[in-house]
Amino acid sequence: MTTTGDRTASRLTARGLTLAYEDRTVVDGLDLDVPHGAVTVVVGPNACGKSTLLRALGRLLKPRRGAVLLDGTDLARLPTKEIARSVGLLPQTPVAPEAITVADLVARGRQPHQHWWRQWSAADERAVTEAMARTDVTDLADRPVDELSGGQRQRVWIALALAQETDLLLLDEPTTYLDIAHQVEVLDLVRQLNHERGRTVVAVLHDLNQAARYADHLVAMKAGRIVAQGPPAETVTAALVRDVFGLGSVVVPDPVTGSPLVVPGRPWQSPADG
Amino acid sequence: MSVAPVGSPRAPLTRRRLCRTAAAVLALLLAVALSLAVGNRAIAPREVLDALFHGGDTEAAQIVLFLRLPRTLVGLLVGAALALAGTAMQGLTRNPIADPGVLGISQGASAAVVLAIAFAGVHSLSGYVGVAFVGAALAAVFVYAVAARGRGGATPVKLALAGAAINALLVAVTMAVLTTRAAALDEFRFWQVGSLTGRDAAVALRIWPFLMVGAVLVIAVARGLDALALGEDVAKGLGQKVATVRIVGGLGAALLTGAGVAAAGPVAFVGLAAPHLARALVGSDHRWVLPTAALIGPVMVLVADTVGRILYPPSEVPAGVLTALIGVPFLVTLVRRKAVAA
Amino acid sequence: MTTTAAAPAPIRPAGYALLRAGPAAFLIHRRAALVAALLTLVLAAGCVGYLSLGEHVVAPGEVIQVVRGRPSPDGLVVGALRLPRLCVGLLAGAAFGVAGALLQTVARNPLASPDIIGITQGASACTVAALTFGIGSYAVLPYLSVAGGLLAAALVYVFAWRGGLHATRFVLIGIGFAVALRSVTQLFLTKGDYLVAQKAQVWMVGSLNGRGWAEAVPLAWALLVLVPCVLWAARAQRTVSMDDDTATALGVRLGRTRLGLATLGVLLAALATGATGPVDFVALLAPQIARRLTRTAQIPLLCSALLGACVVVLGDLPARMLFAPTELPVGVLTAAIGAPYLIHLLVRGHSGRRRAAGGSA
Repeated sequence: MTTTGDRTASRLTARGLTLAYEDRTVVDGLDLDVPHGAVTVVVGPNACGKSTLLRALGRLLKPRRGAVLLDGTDLARLPTKEIARSVGLLPQTPVAPEAITVADLVARGRQPHQHWWRQWSAADERAVTEAMARTDVTDLADRPVDELSGGQRQRVWIALALAQETDLLLLDEPTTYLDIAHQVEVLDLVRQLNHERGRTVVAVLHDLNQAARYADHLVAMKAGRIVAQGPPAETVTAALVRDVFGLGSVVVPDPVTGSPLVVPGRPWQSPADG
Repeated sequence: MSVAPVGSPRAPLTRRRLCRTAAAVLALLLAVALSLAVGNRAIAPREVLDALFHGGDTEAAQIVLFLRLPRTLVGLLVGAALALAGTAMQGLTRNPIADPGVLGISQGASAAVVLAIAFAGVHSLSGYVGVAFVGAALAAVFVYAVAARGRGGATPVKLALAGAAINALLVAVTMAVLTTRAAALDEFRFWQVGSLTGRDAAVALRIWPFLMVGAVLVIAVARGLDALALGEDVAKGLGQKVATVRIVGGLGAALLTGAGVAAAGPVAFVGLAAPHLARALVGSDHRWVLPTAALIGPVMVLVADTVGRILYPPSEVPAGVLTALIGVPFLVTLVRRKAVAA
Repeated sequence: MTTTAAAPAPIRPAGYALLRAGPAAFLIHRRAALVAALLTLVLAAGCVGYLSLGEHVVAPGEVIQVVRGRPSPDGLVVGALRLPRLCVGLLAGAAFGVAGALLQTVARNPLASPDIIGITQGASACTVAALTFGIGSYAVLPYLSVAGGLLAAALVYVFAWRGGLHATRFVLIGIGFAVALRSVTQLFLTKGDYLVAQKAQVWMVGSLNGRGWAEAVPLAWALLVLVPCVLWAARAQRTVSMDDDTATALGVRLGRTRLGLATLGVLLAALATGATGPVDFVALLAPQIARRLTRTAQIPLLCSALLGACVVVLGDLPARMLFAPTELPVGVLTAAIGAPYLIHLLVRGHSGRRRAAGGSA
């Protein structure tokens, strides 16, 4: 069920990408082809550069060297508004303007498609309505974002990214702040979008098992480099988990989906217990 | 004293601290000498010493003894008072930018004095000190209460803003009194910006008891301040009575600020810069920081006063103007370092 | 809201009216439009009151005669004394209001208004310096105060920049520079002779006392030139109210937009300061009140301008009359109202909650 590679060529690629904050290099000389029309999930230990990579893919971070190419053109050479019509992005900790209502916030996602003389169109209305229905926030439309729970707020932000109606969607840890039911809901939504609309999704996830469940293409990073990539069934092995996370584990088939399931080694025990 | 911390070579540390404290004393002596010798009329060091030890009727001796010596004494006391107050406030609020000026406490003392002069007919120096103390204490309590409310407690930004707000309000009050009572403008001007101009020996005589009491209170809670630096919860865990430390220290700081302002008006930023310089010299132990700050504060005030005398003779630039100009780079550096959390 | 799963009701940003004209479509915030209309009425009434009240009370009917240019026995008091002063107050108040709105938007912090972060103090320092050096011409002073304001803003910006612009750091450093620049002003006051000091002293608090056409006309021209920029700002402002990442993701050229908005805000604040001196807290107050009245997600520019003008004009009236014949500077009055409001904002916890404007490395 996880088929990658056989789809059309990648629209978003990174070539020789070196990323740094001030003098600390986080990602060094990285190449990546984001498979078109698939769900790509990036995993790795804390501070391995996975969020940094995603920020660079969404032109939030300028590369020190190398480039991110969208349809073969360097992102740095494209007008940012034009990129915004192709690439949508959900940052890790977005902040809403004070006292803004849900409908108002989601409508901001239409900004790349608007002009000062055409501030609202039928297409805007349709996109916003649909995005809110999909994320199940329609009933919250007139509520201030400040008053929502963490899970509701995250869904509103996802709605904003959906309303942007881009072919490519980058999600930086979209499941943070969510309880397990909402996590599953969001990830299901991602797959649904991918399946029904053929949207390309790149997501950074913390949870290796969720990544293995939902990804078509898994990218494992360590210390700013890609250690392994491919379909989860082929990539996720006990050896990889030991290499990337430094954790002893057993990998078994997920009883529900059959995807690889990582079970960490035995917890610490008192020596007296034998 | 107590047991040395395990693993820290105590003797070299103490020696280093002593050396640096001695350097601070030297700097203070130099500042005193400058303050006595420099001015509209420069007086040679030998003449200064002569006047100090043998008195005399020469013009130079008269200037030194009756103009510059009292002024220098007041500068010493004010500098020490504000530096101690600033150190205590920074420790109590766990906030590196706390300072009687930034927090609007000096302005509180100042406005109280102006109001007392205008409406209560207070004209004696001890009256000023008392009123200034009350004003400082009220402003301190108010600013802290405002900043501590709302989310996140008394963060640096909220303290600074509450201070700025109180400052603006009190300046408006002072201005309103000034504009409507133009006749008394000259008596009041002094309370807008701190200055040592025309302070005589009586001032020093009146404020030193207040200063002493304040200093004793603040030094008494030095250990408490050390514990508070680790956070309120940890301080409690270490067995400190946090509330007592706060009240005693706060009282001491308000007393010191009140005495300082009553003597010289609101001299800005001494309380901000002196503690940081002291910490850079002797580390973070408050039993060392407090005395060292009390040495550095007077240096700042005296140097600012001396420079102010020679900048645009014959008019004098108030010391408060120059200390503010010296102090702001400190604030900027502090804020740029990660020392100030949001 | 009732929705069926099959066909959800179309959703539009709440509270906006849609104005269509051919392919063009504009969103107008209903409540903001209403508030603006009401404020205009209040302001108009305030202006008539301002012109008619004072030591010499003129009937409102007579005032309107004078304003329409008809000959009147009260022509001198109303037309030559109160009218230019009113114009300066209106223009400066509006400029302060918009300046505050823009800077607060850029910093995403209600406290980053020009009078707190040192911009008006920079403009004051420059003007007082010029006065002490004997430059007293109203043809030159506005430029100098603009230069001072820009310089102060640039300094604060440079010193607050540390691999990103952190809102907290920006405000703290701004407060520091405000204090330093106030000291610089004092320094020049000491240097200048007594008469200059007297003039500058009053000017330092912000006052409309003795303002005439000489200040009103250059200010009016300068503001007129900036009107197209303000129209641009009204739209651009909406886009920068999101966090940096989201705004960039939505295709906003964040750096340029922010710089443009901030520069415009600084220019307006400095121009207004050049005409009246630093009238404290108007720039802080007006946008915040405007926003609470309109309940919009971003600060409404038009309402901020109207409110700024209201505050200055309605504040100057009691300042003129309270202790007549002595005049209180209007800045004293606005500070007396504004400082408690700032405290109220702090207590309500509006400062600490906004996240940093800069990237977190």
